[in-house]
Amino acid sequence: MSIAIKILGTGCPKCKATTELVEEVVKENNINATIEKIEDIMEIMQYNVLATPVLVINEKITIKGRVPSKNEIIELLK
Amino acid sequence: MKKAQEICPTTTMGKIKEGALIVDVRPNEEVEQANFDVPNYMHIPLNELEKRISEIPTHKEIVMVCRSGEKSLRTTYYLMNAGYENVYNMSGGILKWASKNFPTKGNVQELLASANCDCSQPNCC
Repeated sequence: MSIAIKILGTGCPKCKATTELVEEVVKENNINATIEKIEDIMEIMQYNVLATPVLVINEKITIKGRVPSKNEIIELLK
Repeated sequence: MKKAQEICPTTTMGKIKEGALIVDVRPNEEVEQANFDVPNYMHIPLNELEKRISEIPTHKEIVMVCRSGEKSLRTTYYLMNAGYENVYNMSGGILKWASKNFPTKGNVQELLASANCDCSQPNCC
């Protein structure tokens, strides 16, 4: 089954870096996943988060307020 | 979800005169550099808001502020999600407030000079 990944952020450098890292991890590890970048503030705030970027995997908030490492992302997608 | 109410510095000033509380979510170092010179002011840095939300009164009008109005917009929704009904975001933040010559204290010139940021500063986004 495909993993639904969402990156929440309003377009700051940290959010862009997180998106790039997630895309790299998914590609390098042939992970079956959809990646969605959410930039709309109302959509972001449905998750009630104060700090961005936020990494949401299958609707669960996994990382918030920082750029995760590649290893962290791999572990979260296992 | 209901859309947050955004107001300009002029409307904010009017609300302050009527007793509204300003809640500033900027980091400490930014507040030390330049600040709002208004009564009814409360400083809760963004990273402390989750723990300290109960310090914000529910019976008053609240105006959330930050440097540019972006982070405070997030906090406005956060308060709305927590059940606050009379909460507003001041668009443009202290940068717009200071550029309109509303009361400030501290090094406002330095603050305004830093306004043309390239968004690569650690505290910017």
